Amino acid sequence: MSNVLQQFASTEGSGDVMSSLGIDWKMLVLQGVAFVILVYLLNKFVFPPLMKAVDDRQAAIEASTEAAKEAEEKAAAAQDEIKAALKEAQQEARDIVETAKDEANAKIVDAEEKAKARSEKIVKDAHDQLEKDVIAARKSLHNDTIDLVALATEKVVGKAVSGDVDKKIIAEAVKENA
Amino acid sequence: MLNQFAISIDIHAAPLTLFTVGGFSITNSFLTGIVSSILLITVFMYVSRMVRAGRYNRFVGLAQWAFEGMLGQVYSVIPDKKLARKVAPLALTIFFAMLFSYWMSVLPGLESVTYEGKAVLRSVAADLNFTTAVALVVFMTVQFYAVRAHGNIGNLKRYIRNPLKDPIGSFEGFLELIGEVSRYIALSVRMFGNCFAGEILLIIVSVLTSYLAAVILPFFMAFELFIGFIQAYVFFMLTIIFTSLAVESHGAHDEDANITSVDHSPSDTHPRAAVQSE
Repeated sequence: MSNVLQQFASTEGSGDVMSSLGIDWKMLVLQGVAFVILVYLLNKFVFPPLMKAVDDRQAAIEASTEAAKEAEEKAAAAQDEIKAALKEAQQEARDIVETAKDEANAKIVDAEEKAKARSEKIVKDAHDQLEKDVIAARKSLHNDTIDLVALATEKVVGKAVSGDVDKKIIAEAVKENA
Repeated sequence: MLNQFAISIDIHAAPLTLFTVGGFSITNSFLTGIVSSILLITVFMYVSRMVRAGRYNRFVGLAQWAFEGMLGQVYSVIPDKKLARKVAPLALTIFFAMLFSYWMSVLPGLESVTYEGKAVLRSVAADLNFTTAVALVVFMTVQFYAVRAHGNIGNLKRYIRNPLKDPIGSFEGFLELIGEVSRYIALSVRMFGNCFAGEILLIIVSVLTSYLAAVILPFFMAFELFIGFIQAYVFFMLTIIFTSLAVESHGAHDEDANITSVDHSPSDTHPRAAVQSE
């Protein structure tokens, strides 16, 4: 093994460190120039289409993401609109029911009032009619009484008194008795 | 036996020169680097063409998935999307180039192809010239964006401050300067060390296990593939973190630091904390 190391050391250690590591300034420049040419060739002919493909894919992904986001926003907006419309419809329905209830109540109250007024009127009319009938009956009874009394008086007295006198007397008598 | 063992293992930290062109030594790692770069361009050209045509198969899907994941990492570390877009090509090239280069070192028989007794192919990630060159490119890019973000003077103030007016800040700037240098040294040496050590590990395991290497070596190769991915990812992440830190405004940093100190937030969520933990 020592022979190996000695051989290696003797081969590589003959010059300075740079030359033993293989550093040659001319070769270094040549390698550098070759590498720059490689960068230029790849940058000129190879990378642009690949970068374009990457950019296109990225753009497509971004566009899809944007579209998805937009659709999501639209869906959310539609959802909000639906919610608002539903809420509005519910409110309207509630208002309609409320109004209908109020109107119904008003109509009931009105009907009640009307019925009450009508019934009162009917009662009043009935009372009036009754009163009228009573008055008429009384008047009829009064007349009948007068006639009866006149007839009785005629039969008792035996002679007929003149109509006006007779009536006057009877009326006074009835008035006194009443 | 030891002598026999010594003959079997031939390890060189430096890449081997195969031939010279116009004064430039063409090394085996450089050659492999060219091969892996051509492979990388070919694979991604195919993926790119298929993606453009809208024709997908499993391999294209996998490559695009990896690309998209890495690009996503750049965007998540650098908040400024414009800057992230500018840095992304460099960072992505670093990741895929490092990954391909590292994985080339795992290829069975890579060093068995020889020319005049020298291995013709050797992973470029195991060449310090390459990792240092890439680290220097990253350094220059980071400094370029730092100067654009803060201006020349503002960027210099990150490192050099008046010690009479702000002694603590001046010391902090000095530490920042040392940190800036050490970051890039660590960046290059880490990748080189891991790949080189991985190559040696595979060679030693294959020699030690002899005929059993056919059974045992695949496990180590799978492990090296994983390490290669991790190292490429670390290089890539540190590139974008360094850029993010360099363009970060001082006010925002101080504010963040205060928030962190008050909230005792997990340190690994902040790029600076990630660098320190490195």
